[in-house]
Amino acid sequence: MSYLELLKLASPEAIVVITALAVLTIGLTTGREAASATVSTAGPTRNAGSSSSTRSAALCSFVAALGLVIAIGAVLMLPRNATLFGGMLVITPLTSLFKIICIALVFFTLLLTTSEKSLLHPGEYLAIVLLATVGLMLLVGSEELLMIFIGLELLGLSLYVMAAFDKNDVRSAEAGLKYFLFGSTSSAFTLFGISLIYGMSGTTGLAAISAKLATASVQPLLAVGVVMTLVGFSFKIAAAPFHLWAPDAYQGAPVPSAAFIASGSKVASFVVLGKIVLVGFAPVHGSAAWHGMVAGWSPVLAVLAAFSILLGNLVALAQSNVRRLLAYSAVAHGGYTLIGLVAGGRDGFSAALFYTTTYAITLVGAFGVVGFVRRDTGGDDLSNFSGLYSRSPLMAGSMAIFMLSLAGIPPLAGFFGKFYLFSSALRASPGHGLLWLVALALLGSFISLYYYLMVIKFIFVDKRAEPEIDHRLPITDHVLQKSAISLIAAAVLLLGVMPDILAAQILAAIP
Amino acid sequence: MLSVSKGMSRWVMHYLCLIPAVPFAASLIILSLPNARRGSAAALAVTGQVAALALSVLAFLPTLQTNGFRAVQNFTWFAFGDNALRIGFVLDPLAAAMALMISLVGLCIFVFSIGYMAEDKNFVRFFAYLSFFSGAMLGVVIANSLLLLFIFWELVGLASYLLIGFWIERPSAAAAAKKAFITTRIGDMGFFLGILWLYNRSGTLLFYDSGKGCLESAGLAMLGASATFIALLIFFGAVGKSGQFPLHVWLPDAMEGPTPVSALIHAATMVAAGVFLLARVYPLFSLGAVNGVTSSLTVVVWIGVTTALMAALIAIAQADIKRILAYSTVSQLGLMMVSLGVGGVAAGIMHLLAHGFFKALLFLGSGSVIHGCHGEQDIRNMGGLRRFMPVTFVTYAIGMMALSGFPLLFSGGWTKEEILHDIGHWPPSRAPYYLMLAGVVLTALYMTRQIIYVFLGKPRAVAEHAHESARVMTMPLIVLALGAILLSVVLTPAWPWLYAYLSGESVHFEIARLIQPMLFVSLVLVSAGIGVGFWMYRKAGMQDGDRPSEIDPLEYAQPALFRFLANKMWVDELYAHTVIAFSWMAARLSDWLDRYFWDGLVRGFGAIGQLFATFTTGVDERGINAGADETTVAARGLGRLMSAAHSGQIQVYLGVIAIGMLALLLLYAWLA
Repeated sequence: MSYLELLKLASPEAIVVITALAVLTIGLTTGREAASATVSTAGPTRNAGSSSSTRSAALCSFVAALGLVIAIGAVLMLPRNATLFGGMLVITPLTSLFKIICIALVFFTLLLTTSEKSLLHPGEYLAIVLLATVGLMLLVGSEELLMIFIGLELLGLSLYVMAAFDKNDVRSAEAGLKYFLFGSTSSAFTLFGISLIYGMSGTTGLAAISAKLATASVQPLLAVGVVMTLVGFSFKIAAAPFHLWAPDAYQGAPVPSAAFIASGSKVASFVVLGKIVLVGFAPVHGSAAWHGMVAGWSPVLAVLAAFSILLGNLVALAQSNVRRLLAYSAVAHGGYTLIGLVAGGRDGFSAALFYTTTYAITLVGAFGVVGFVRRDTGGDDLSNFSGLYSRSPLMAGSMAIFMLSLAGIPPLAGFFGKFYLFSSALRASPGHGLLWLVALALLGSFISLYYYLMVIKFIFVDKRAEPEIDHRLPITDHVLQKSAISLIAAAVLLLGVMPDILAAQILAAIP
Repeated sequence: MLSVSKGMSRWVMHYLCLIPAVPFAASLIILSLPNARRGSAAALAVTGQVAALALSVLAFLPTLQTNGFRAVQNFTWFAFGDNALRIGFVLDPLAAAMALMISLVGLCIFVFSIGYMAEDKNFVRFFAYLSFFSGAMLGVVIANSLLLLFIFWELVGLASYLLIGFWIERPSAAAAAKKAFITTRIGDMGFFLGILWLYNRSGTLLFYDSGKGCLESAGLAMLGASATFIALLIFFGAVGKSGQFPLHVWLPDAMEGPTPVSALIHAATMVAAGVFLLARVYPLFSLGAVNGVTSSLTVVVWIGVTTALMAALIAIAQADIKRILAYSTVSQLGLMMVSLGVGGVAAGIMHLLAHGFFKALLFLGSGSVIHGCHGEQDIRNMGGLRRFMPVTFVTYAIGMMALSGFPLLFSGGWTKEEILHDIGHWPPSRAPYYLMLAGVVLTALYMTRQIIYVFLGKPRAVAEHAHESARVMTMPLIVLALGAILLSVVLTPAWPWLYAYLSGESVHFEIARLIQPMLFVSLVLVSAGIGVGFWMYRKAGMQDGDRPSEIDPLEYAQPALFRFLANKMWVDELYAHTVIAFSWMAARLSDWLDRYFWDGLVRGFGAIGQLFATFTTGVDERGINAGADETTVAARGLGRLMSAAHSGQIQVYLGVIAIGMLALLLLYAWLA
C-alpha cells in the first residue's frame, strides 16, 4: 500500500479538508476587519462596513461550494471496490453513493448559509461545516469501529461548535452547550461499548467481529457492549429517550447548523448504524416479533423505535415553535427509520436508507423556509408563518410540499419512504411478527398529520398577522436561496412520482 | 429503406410520450399566465395541439409500413421488494388512429373556441383546461398499462369536471359538473376493482410485454374463469365514461358547459374513451369465445342495444339543440358498443373515428347557431336560419346526413352499414339487428326534426337577428365537414383501407364490392326516416311572428308518450327517489353517528392523547428543561447560563442517558 494510492482513494476527503483550510484562510484574510467592525456596533443592524464582509462571505461560500462539487467528482472517479487497512477505509458502491448524498446535502445547507446574517465569521463557520463533512464521509466510508468512532467525534465536535456559532444569541450558546454535554456523555458510552466488543472479539473490523460473535455464546458482557454501542447512535439519531438535546439544538442553533444536524448527520449515522448492526452484530440479531422476542439488538432498536414514534408525535402536537416541532417530528422519523433496520436484510436496510435520505432532503428544504421566515419576521413560531402565502407563494408552496411529504401523503417522497419501510417490515418476519411496530408507526403518522397540517394552515389560511409585518409586501430578494428551496421541493415531488430513480440505486448498492 | 424505417420507429417510440406531454406542458404554462394574456393563451394552446398533431402524424407513419404493427416502450415506475410496477406506452394502429383523430378534431375545436369564447372573462383558464383535457385523452390512447390508462382516464374525468362546470357562477353548471363527475366515478369504481382483480390474477397490468402482458396469451391463460367478471367490471367503467345505460344520465346535463366543451367531450375525447377502452382490452372479453360469443360480450350487446334505442327515442322529444345532439351521442355510442359486442371491433372503431368528425361538426355547428342567436338554445325559437347562416347550414346538413348514415356520400353511412352487417351475423339472436335498424330510422327522424326546426321554415323569436359566425368559427366547420365526407374514401367496401389497417390485414381494390345489400337496406331506412320526419313536421314553425311554434306534432298525436320521452323516461326521477334518496338517508344516519357517537369516542381518545401529551411535554419542558429555559428567556448572559447548566439541569439530561441505557440492558437481559 503506497501512500500515493492512499491519497488517490481518500481523495474526496482530502479535497474537502483542503477546501476547509482554503476557506478558513480566505475568511481570515478578507473578512476579519469588516466583521469586527460589525461586532463593535454590536447588533444585527447592517452598517456600511458590512459590504466587504458580505463579499468575503460570498467568496467563502463559493470556494466551499466549488470544493464540494470537486469532491463529488472525485467520488465518482473512485474505483468500484477497494479496502484499506483492514476496513478502516472501504470503497463500495454503497459508500460512494452515500458520500455523494451527504456532500449534496451539505451543498444545499451551504446555500442556506449564504443569506444567514447572524454568522459573524462566515469563513470559520464554513470551514467547520466542511470539517463536519469530512466526518460524515469517514463515517460512511468505514467498516472499522475505531475509525467509525473517530468519524463520530470529528462530526460531533464540529457540530457542537456549529450549534453554538451564533455568538449574539444566548439560545445558540445553550443549544451548543447542551448538545456538547449530552453528546460527549453518549460518546463515552459508545467508546466503552466498543472497547467491550473489542475485548470479546479481539478485533475492530466489522466483518471480523461478526465472525467471532457467531461462535461466541450469549453472555452478559456482550449484551452490555451491544447496548452501550447502540446508545451512542441513538443519541446521534435522536431516538427517545436519548433525544433530549434535540429540541434545544434545533431551536437554538443557527438555521444552517440545525439543517446540517437534521440532515447530513442523520443520514450518515443511519448508514453506519445499519452497517454495525447488520454486518458487525449480525449473529446477535435476535427477533422483535411480537410473539417470539429473542434477545439481541433488534428488540432493543424496536423498543427505541416504538418509544420514539409515540413520544415524538405526541409531544410535537403541543409545540408552537416550528423548529421545536420539527425536532420532535425528527424523533418520530428516527423511530420510523429504525423499523427498517429492525426488519433487517437487504430490503429493510435499503428501505431505511431511502427513507432517511428523502427525509434529510425534505428537512433541508424545510429549514430553508424556516430561515427565510425567520429573516423576514424575526422569529420562527407558528404565528410567524401566518400569511406566508400572500408574501411568497413559492416558499409557501414549497413548505406545503415538505410538510405533506413528512406526513407521508402521496405522491410525495415521504409516502414511498413509509411504504417501503412498512412493507419491508411486514415481509421481514414470518407471520407478520412486526405488525405491532407497523401499526404503531401508522398510528403515529396519523397523529403527525395534525401538526403538519397546522403549519400549512398557518401558512395558507391564518391571517392573524403581527401588525408590524406588512402582509401585502411580497418578498423579492434571496433569489439563490429561493431557487435552491424550490429545487429541493421539486426533488421531493420527483422522488414521490418516480421513487425508483433513488430506490433502485440504493438497492443495487447494497450487497 | 428497412433500416431507415426501423430507426424511425425507434425514434417515434422514444418520443411517443411527448404526444400527451406537450398539451400538458402547454396547459401548465397557460395556467401561470395572467388573466389578460388572452392572445398568448390561445396561441400556446393551439401550438401545443399542432405539435401533438404533428407528433401523431409521425407516430402514424411507422404503423403504415407493416400490417399489425405494434411497438411498446415499457419502463419500471417503482419497485417494492421483488415486485416492480411497470408502465409504458404502446403504438399500434388503434392508438395511432385514435391519436390522429383526437389531435385533429381537437385542433378544430381549439380554433373554433377562439371565436366562441372571445367574450369570456376566463378565456385564459378555458384554454388551459382544454389543453389539459386533450393531453389526458391522448395519454389514454397510447397507454400500455391498465394503471397508466386509468390515471389518464381519471385526469380526463377531472378535466371534464372543470370544463362542464366552467361557468361556475351558474348553479345548473355546477350541478351538472358534479353529476358528471360522480356518475362516472361510480363506473370508475367498478373499473378499479377490475384492475385490482386483474393484477391479482395475472401479476401485470401491462397490455403488451413481449408475451408476458395481460392481453397476451400467457397472461390471459392465468385468468381462467375470472376473465368474465374482470371484463364486466372494466366494462362498468366504460359504461360510466361513455354514457351507457344505466349511467347515461350525466351526459345530457353536461351540455351546461360551453359548446366547444360539449364538442370535445361528445365527439373526440371523453365518451370515446369508454369505447376505446373496450377495444383496447378486447382480448379479455373474447377469452374463451365460442363462435365469437362470450357472456361478457353478450352483456355488452344488450346494454348497447338498450342505450341506443332509448336515447334515440328520448332525442325525438327534446327541444334544446344541444340536448338532442347529446342524446344522439349516447345512441351512437350504444351502437358502437353493440358493434364491439358482436365482434366487429374494427367496425366499431371506424364508426368512433367517423363519429368524432361529424359529431364535432354538429356540436360546433350548434355552437355557431347558438352564438348567432345570442345564446338561444331552444329550437322552437329558431327557424329559417339557412338564410342568415348559410355556411353553418350547409355544414350542419352534411353532419346531419353523416349522423343519419345516409349511404354512399357520407362517412357515417359506410361505417354504420359495416356495423349493421356485423350485427346481422350475430349467432345468438337476430333481435339486436332489427332493433338497430329501427334505431337508424329514429336517428334520421330526430335529425330531420332538428334541421326543420332550426334552419327551415320561417324565423321566429330571436332568429330574426341571427348572423353568420366569424371566419375563425366557420373555418373549423368547413374542415370538419370535408373530413366527414372525405373520410369515406378509406371506408368503402371497395377499398376498406381503414378496416384492414385496424385489423392488421392487407387491402386491395375491388369495385364490385362497393354495392352491398346493406347499402339498399340503409338507403331505404334512412330515406324513410327523413321522409317521415318531413311529413310529421311539415307544418312546424311555418307561421310568422314572435310566438314560439305551436304544440309539437308528436305531442298532439301521443301526449302521454311525448311527456314520457320529453322527461327522459323519468330515469333521473327514478334515481332521485331510489339511489339518491337512499344515499341521503345513509348520509343523515352517518352524520348523526358522527356527531353523537364517533365524535364522542374521538373526543375521548383525543382527551387521553392530550393528557399524555401534556404529561410528556410537562416532563420534557418543565421537569427537565424549565430551569434552563428560564435563564434563556431572561437572557442574562452566558455565565449565568453556565452556572444554571451546572446547577443540575444538564445532569438530569445525562441521568436520563444512564437510565435509558439501563432500561435497554434490562430488556436485553430479560429476553435472554
